[in-house]
Formats: sequence, structure tokens, C-alpha cells
Amino acid sequence: MTQLIQTIVLGLLLGGVYALLASGLTLIFGVMDVINVAQGALIILSAFITWAAWSETGLDPLLGVLVTTPAMFLIGFGIYMASVRWIQGKPPSTSVILTFGLALIIEGVMGMVWTATLHRATPAYFNQSFTIGDIYLRKGQVYACAIAIGVLAVLYVILRVTWLGRAIRAVSANMSSARLVGVNPSTVAALTFAVGVATAGAGGSLASVLYPFLPASHYAWISRLLGIIVLGGMGSLPGAVVGALLLGVAETMTQTYVSPQWATLVPWAVIMLVLLLRPQGLMGQKLREDVAL
Amino acid sequence: MRRIVWLLALLPVLLALVLAAGCGGDDDDGGDAGGDTGATDTGGGGEASGEPIRIGASLPLTGDFAEPGEAARRGYEVWMEMVNESGGLLGRPVEMVIKDDQSDQNLVVTDYNALIEQDQVDLLLGTFSSLLNIPASAVAERAQMVYVEPAGGSPDMFNRGFEYLFFAQQATAPHQADLFSEWVTGLPEGERPATAAYVAADDPFGAPVAEGIQEQLEAAGVETVYSEIYPPETVNFDAIAADIAAQKPDVIAQGSAGLQDGVNLITALGAAGYSPKQMFQASTPSFADQYSDAIGVENTEGIFYAVSYHVDAPTPGNAEFLEAYRAKYDNEDPAEDAADGYAAAQVLQAAVEAVGSIDDQAALKDWLHENSVETILGELSWDETGAPEQAFLLAQWQNGDEEIVLPEDAATSDTIVNPKPPWTGR
Repeated sequence: MTQLIQTIVLGLLLGGVYALLASGLTLIFGVMDVINVAQGALIILSAFITWAAWSETGLDPLLGVLVTTPAMFLIGFGIYMASVRWIQGKPPSTSVILTFGLALIIEGVMGMVWTATLHRATPAYFNQSFTIGDIYLRKGQVYACAIAIGVLAVLYVILRVTWLGRAIRAVSANMSSARLVGVNPSTVAALTFAVGVATAGAGGSLASVLYPFLPASHYAWISRLLGIIVLGGMGSLPGAVVGALLLGVAETMTQTYVSPQWATLVPWAVIMLVLLLRPQGLMGQKLREDVAL
Repeated sequence: MRRIVWLLALLPVLLALVLAAGCGGDDDDGGDAGGDTGATDTGGGGEASGEPIRIGASLPLTGDFAEPGEAARRGYEVWMEMVNESGGLLGRPVEMVIKDDQSDQNLVVTDYNALIEQDQVDLLLGTFSSLLNIPASAVAERAQMVYVEPAGGSPDMFNRGFEYLFFAQQATAPHQADLFSEWVTGLPEGERPATAAYVAADDPFGAPVAEGIQEQLEAAGVETVYSEIYPPETVNFDAIAADIAAQKPDVIAQGSAGLQDGVNLITALGAAGYSPKQMFQASTPSFADQYSDAIGVENTEGIFYAVSYHVDAPTPGNAEFLEAYRAKYDNEDPAEDAADGYAAAQVLQAAVEAVGSIDDQAALKDWLHENSVETILGELSWDETGAPEQAFLLAQWQNGDEEIVLPEDAATSDTIVNPKPPWTGR
């Protein structure tokens, strides 16, 4: 029984980390129809910035979130202005090619600055755990989950309460009508992209403690994150959270009760199954084209 | 629209620039190395003269194995310079022809075919890793050329009936941990472990290492409480560590050639709060600073691993190798893979000098099958499959340093940390 609870707890914590990393990806797609394949590289970039600050000044990676989030917001804004805005309104496949190119450039730059060797921030809590009875919770993952909840709450408030949020939702629902009521879609898109990339700041800071990384680590992350948002329903924030938790638990349950050998396969099997039964994902909206048929 | 096309067209160009800048350094190194060799025709033991003996090899200088591949290249080059300075091979200068296989199984086959057919090299040396040596050695076998490889101990290398293949380290993967198994099962009653957990990466090296230890420990009556294989790309070891911790094994042994999976298992065991009495990892702890930085140097204390070479080893010729290596590479110490490359070249050199000719490859392989060779890794000899018959050194992290603890005549430390202290932070 302890083993079952422990496995589920480990899976939920892992899912919380996945949710934090996937939130920006799904936000950017939901509003802009841009599949940001560079999100993984941006997470690793934030991890490197966190590591550099930690090893130079001893800045705790948790506080590093306060540095990397605004830094990644600015980087996201810059990337949008320099590249992504030229492909706004084009099919999503165009954005895959563009952002994949960006990911390769970011990877190359990180390799030149920090070399292609393994890095990791090791503050005192990096391998420590909280214990409740016989169950342990890894501290870094607990912090990541707390920050994930914080980030998702802030995103929710931004989207529901602020003018920017209403504008984002208006653009996402109907761009030409939004324009009619005085919303400037390109400003909104720039800010959305920047906010989405800013979440990679928090995610990268936490990831730098949880797992060692090198410039090429982003491939592993982006494939997992794309899987999560497809599972949850592309563009849906709650869907990304549910998808992340589901995949986290599926991964640890398989490792414990089937075999670690199957653990990389099972998440993809779950995704395939869901898509066969519900092609729009768990919480995705059916596209109007589907309904019109 | 035009601007988008422009931008998309520009991206590959930018990318190419980034890549070119990244590779630029390597090319310069190669150029320098070539330049150096041209100038080293004066030396201690007489002058090499006549037409050079050309030795071909392909190494993973880029891609996944770029780091060990570059180290092996350095080992080959240092050997070439030392040989040329002391009168050459059979009195003739040696010239290395080294290609880059980009860590690609197809390209390595192309490279060795080109070395044999187009470059028409006189002798061959091997590439790095079982993954690349398995196809490359088949090319050499077909051409009936002696193939001494510096790194590739998978059992799959030696089950094909090859006659020209020789592995220039002490043992194959299943025997990687022989000294560890002997030591741990030879502990006095009461200290001897009762239970053990085995976990291994699903690759040609990792799984045989773990299976080898499991076989030897089970034969000595150590009960197996956990034994699993994981995909090499596994990042999250939390559930694996929790399951191992629940069994409370005395020994945990991990078979893996990688760095990240080994580091992630240690971190997850730390988080699970379980520290075994003896911890063995096949190769991960030999990554030096990258390893100790990633798990925290305090957590390295007492962890065992197997290794082919140590800079302080009292083996014949090691002092000369170190001197030449440090002189050539800014006083850096050679990586294990550089020493392995050097040793592979020493093996080839011994065969050529004993036979006295490079014209008969069959005579070279016959000599190697019948004799042993003194190298900086110690004495090496081979069975009929080309698998070596010696034992790896047993190393252990002690006080933040890598020490050889067994065998005693090669040991750099006279103590063995046992049992392993608990992880820090608990």
C-alpha cells in the first residue's frame, strides 16, 4: 500500500513539473496558433542562466526564478519582434520550421558559451525530501509544483481579470472583431508570446536543480511537452495540467508495476489511445471545421 | 510574404555559421597536430627515414561520442609523435590518417572502406565505442587487416568468430567488475552483503556489466532483490529509486556507459533517503568533475567503478606517455580514453616490431594471439576471439578524488572506504 501511494505521489510531483514546463507552450498555441518548438531550448537557456547565477553568486535557484522570469519575458518579446511576427496568420506548420531553427540557434549559442558538458545546480535541497510517514516528497519537485500552481494562477488572473487578458482571449476567439473594438492584435500577440516564454524562465530555474542538463537536452523535453499538450487538448491550460499529471503518474506506475523498460513507451501509448477516442484531446475544443462537416 | 521567405532562407545560413564556428576550433587543432608531426624528425633514438608507414583510423570527432573520440585521437597522435621521435616504426616514419565518422554507424563503415580501398593505408587502428566498432571491425575482418580497437567491450564484438580483431583494454563488459565482485564476496563474515539490486541501461555495454556482477554475486550466495533494465534515455529515476530503497539492498550496482542516467539514479536515491553499503557504477564515476559537480562532491565518497587507466599507474612507459601528453596539450592530464587510444597503438606497434614487417597481416594477428604486450594499461593478452584476458582496475572516489584501490600493486590508495557513508543532506 505504501508503495502504491509513494508511486502515485512521485507521479503527481513529476506531473507538476511537467505542467509548469508545458503551460507556456499551450498558451502560445492557444492564442497565436504558433507551435513553439523552441520552448524546450528556452527552458534549457533559463536553466543555464540560473546555473551561472548560482555558481557565480550563490543565488538560490528558487530566487533565480525572480531573475529568469523577467529575463525570459524580454527574450521572448525580442524573439517575437525579430522573427515570429513575420509568420503570424500563416499555417502552424510554418511556425514549427521557424521555431525549430530558433531552437538550433539557441542550442548552438549555449554550446559556445557554456560548452556541451553536463551542468547542474546543487543547492542544499537538491536531493533532499520532505517525509510524511513512510512517504517522501522530493523538495525540488514540491517547490516546482508550488511554482507551477503560482504560475498557472497568475496566468488565470491575467487571462480573466486584466485588460490584456481580455484582449488575448478576444484575439484568440476572433481576430477581426477584436480589431474592430480597438484591440491591436500584434501587440497582444507579442505580449502573449513573451508571457509564454516567461514561464520557461520559472520552469528552467527549477529544472536546473532537478535534472542535470546540457545544450542538447531540449530535444528530450520538447517531445515530452508536445505530447502533454496534445493529450490535454492543444491550447487548453487546464488540459495541459491534467495531461501532465496523467503522464507523470503513468510513467512512475509503469516503472514500478510493469518495468522501467516500458516507461518511455507507455506515455505515448496513453496519448495514442486518447487521440483515437477523443481526437481533440482531453479538454480541447473541437475546431469549427469539424462541426461544419 | 517576401520577408518571410527571406527569413526562412536566412535561417539555415545562420545555422551553418553557428556550426562552422563551433567546428572551427577542432579544425585548427587538427592542423596544428599535423604541423607538429612534420617538424618532429629529430629525436633520441635515431632518425626515421624512407616512405612513411600510413595508419588509418576513423573516430567520432563530432556527434554523441565527440568527447571520447577527441581523447582517443590525442592518444593516437601522441603515440605517433613519440614513435617518430625515437626512430619510427621499423625505421620508417609513421603517418596517421584520421577520419571523422560523426558517431554514425553508416559513416564509420564508409570511412574504413575508404581508408583501405582509396587511401590504401598500411595498418588500421579502431574507433571508439562498441556501437561503432561492431560494424567497423567487420570491414577490417573482410579485408583481413589487423584491427586493434581502444574502446568497445560488448560481448557482441567477440561472438562473430573474427580473427583480426583485438580489444586493447583489460577485459570485456561482463568482466568489467570482476575485482569488485571478488572483493565484495571476499569480505569477512558479517560484513559480506546479503542482498543486492541491479539496474542497467539497455545498451550493448550496460546490461552485460550488470549481468556479470549479478552472476558472480549470486554464485557467492548474495540474494538478488531487484534487477531491471531501463531505456538509456530515461531521465526520471524517482520510481526506480523508491522501489530499490523499499528492498533495502546491501549492494546497488548500475551498468551504464553514460553520464546523465548514472547521475540521475544517485540523485533519486538521495531523495529516497537510501544509501547502500556498497555502490558500484560501471562508467559514470569516471567522468571526473562533471560527475562530482552533478551529484555534489560529498556524495561521491565511497562509490566504486571500474577503469582501465589511472595517471599515477606505475605501468611501464606511463611516465614517458604522461610527459609527452602534457607537453603537447598544455599540461593537461590525459583522459582514460586518450590512454586507451595510446595503448591500442602500442599493441599494434609491438606486433609490427616483433614480426618485423607490415606486409603480412596474418602474421601480425597470429603473433598477437600467441603473445602478450606490455602497455601503459599493464600487460594485455587475448583469447581466440580477440577478447582480453585481464581485469580492470577497481577505483573508488575518496575525499573528492579518484583512487585505484585494487589490485594492490596498482593501487594509489591503501584504504577502501567501506561501508559507503550516507548521502549528504539527509
